[in-house]
Amino acid sequence: MSVGQIISVVKLEVFVFLGGLAAIIAYRLLNGQINTRYLFYGTQKDGTKYFSSERLQLLLFTLGVAVFYLSDVMQKRQSGALPDVSTQTLVLLGGSHVVYLGGKAYMMLLKNIRKGEQ
Amino acid sequence: MLLLLLLQVTQSTPPPVSSAVINLAAWVALGFLGLMGIAILYYVFTGKIDLGGLISEPSGEASMSRFQLLIFTFVIAASFFLIVVTKSGFPDPIPQGVLVLLGISASSYLVSKGIQASSKQGLGPQDASVTVKGSQTTTTLGGQTIQFQADVVGLSDDTVTWTLDPATGRGTIEQTGLYTPPPASQTDARGKKVVIQAAAKEDVSVKDTVTIELL
Repeated sequence: MSVGQIISVVKLEVFVFLGGLAAIIAYRLLNGQINTRYLFYGTQKDGTKYFSSERLQLLLFTLGVAVFYLSDVMQKRQSGALPDVSTQTLVLLGGSHVVYLGGKAYMMLLKNIRKGEQ
Repeated sequence: MLLLLLLQVTQSTPPPVSSAVINLAAWVALGFLGLMGIAILYYVFTGKIDLGGLISEPSGEASMSRFQLLIFTFVIAASFFLIVVTKSGFPDPIPQGVLVLLGISASSYLVSKGIQASSKQGLGPQDASVTVKGSQTTTTLGGQTIQFQADVVGLSDDTVTWTLDPATGRGTIEQTGLYTPPPASQTDARGKKVVIQAAAKEDVSVKDTVTIELL
C-alpha cells in the first residue's frame, strides 16, 4: 500500500466521477431527458414566447470561450498552472452577458411599458 | 474536491514508510469517497437523483443562465483536475482571469434570477399543459409502431396516461407512448382514424391529443 498507489486511485476516482457525471449529463441533454424546452426562447412581460437571439449569442460565446480555454489548458498543462484568461476574452464574455441580461430585462420588464400597455 | 485535497496531502507530505496508520486512513478515506462517488453516479444514472430539471426554471422552461454556469463549472473543474494530475499538485495561484470568468458566469445567473423575480412571468409556475409529439400522423395496418412523446409543463409530475379513442379495434398503445397499429388482417379499421390522448396523471384535465389515420 504505497503512496503512489493511493495517488493513482485518487486520480482514477476523480476521473471516473467527473467523466461519468459529464457523460451522463451530456447524454441526457442530447436525448431530451434533461429538459431543454425553450432554451432559445425568452418570455415577454405578457407571457408570450419569442426566439431570443441574445440567448443564442450567449451560448455561442460560452462554448467558444470554453473550447478555447480547454485547448489552452491542454497546450500549457505541463507548466503546472492554470492558464489565465485574457482581458480581451473576459471583456467579450462580459459583453455577451450584458447583451443577454439587457435583452432579458428589456423584454420581461420594459417592453410593454414602452408600448403603453400594462 | 476532497479527493483532490487528499491527493495534495499525500504528495506534499509523504508519510514515513513505517506509518501504516496514515496509509490505512488514506485508504479508508479513499474507499469512503469512492463509494460515495459511485453511489451518486449510480443514483444519477438510474434516475433516483433526477437531473431532468438541471437547467430548468420552476416554470418548466430551460434556463440559458443555468446552462452557461454548468458549462463553465465543468470546464474549470476539468481543467483543474488536468493540471493537478499533470503537475501532481495544486495549481498555485489560481489566475485572476479564471476567478473573474467564474464571477461573470455566476453573477449573470444571479442577475438573471433577479430580473425574473421582478417580473410576474419570471419565476412563477406557468399554466399547466401537455403537448403530444409524434413522428407521423398516418400509418398502415400492420405497419411500424410509432413512438409518441408527451411534454408536460407547469406540473410537478411529468408522467401521463396514454389512451386510445376508440379504446379497442384501432391498435394499442403502451404507457410508454408506443403505438402499435392494428394487424393487416383487421381490414375493417382501414381508412379509420384513432385519437391518441395523453393526460397528465397529476391533473387529468390537462391533456393533449393527436389523430392518426390508418391507411
